Amino acid sequence: MEFDKSIFINCPFDDEYKPLLKTLLFVIKKLGFIPRISLERNDSGEVRLNKIKELIESSKFGIHDLSRHKSKKSDEYFRLNMPFELGLDLGLGCRDFNPDSKFRNKKILILEQEKYSTQKALSDLSFADCKCHNGQEEELVYEVRTWIIENGFKVKQSGSSLWDEYNIFNSKLFEQKINEKFTQKDIDLMSVAEFLGYL
Amino acid sequence: MSTVKVHIIKRVTGWAIKKEGNEKASKIFKTKIEAIQNAEKFRMDGNDVIVHRSDGSIENWKKSKK
Repeated sequence: MEFDKSIFINCPFDDEYKPLLKTLLFVIKKLGFIPRISLERNDSGEVRLNKIKELIESSKFGIHDLSRHKSKKSDEYFRLNMPFELGLDLGLGCRDFNPDSKFRNKKILILEQEKYSTQKALSDLSFADCKCHNGQEEELVYEVRTWIIENGFKVKQSGSSLWDEYNIFNSKLFEQKINEKFTQKDIDLMSVAEFLGYL
Repeated sequence: MSTVKVHIIKRVTGWAIKKEGNEKASKIFKTKIEAIQNAEKFRMDGNDVIVHRSDGSIENWKKSKK
């Protein structure tokens, strides 16, 4: 995999987040980058932490969505995987402590669902300019596109055009799968790994 | 007359009616219901109308009425 074009994705894998993740994967591919995500391969024999480390070390870019650091109901555990993997990416993974100079230019985007919520939950990150998508797929498209541009890449397509293209992509996939005798439920429940195959 | 697919797509400012292949939306409505109602005329003209959910997936594929 090409290091300079790879983006490690660290985000929730729950059903509620799945539409955001699919949108994120589409935009990354559309802008010419390679999404690297632990769901891309499923080998029960592989130690998860080793897989994460390999993905981080093979990606110049990282997108970390910390939307699940707040529980929604009593007795619900908040999710620690995302801040943990962000820590790996910032530190051990690479950017500041790895002796290999290629990691010095590593670029990271931190996403949150609610503005300033990350600073409240993780004050060590008060320096960070987190971007908020408000749980909206369209806003996620705009934030990722802006971040890519801010890192020196030219993007001709507007945010609204990218968003519309994602919607049209979904309709083409829908039509194809209906013709293959999938039901609407089959399409709605399509796994991220299967979805990746159509990008 | 050739048929096109007409999409109803969520926008930050409302719901857009956009013909596939066009660069810009035909019109943006405040509510999804308004957009769906206004898209009916495209169905009468022989076009499919595809209603998207706010996440971009497909909610309803309304076949043309011609």
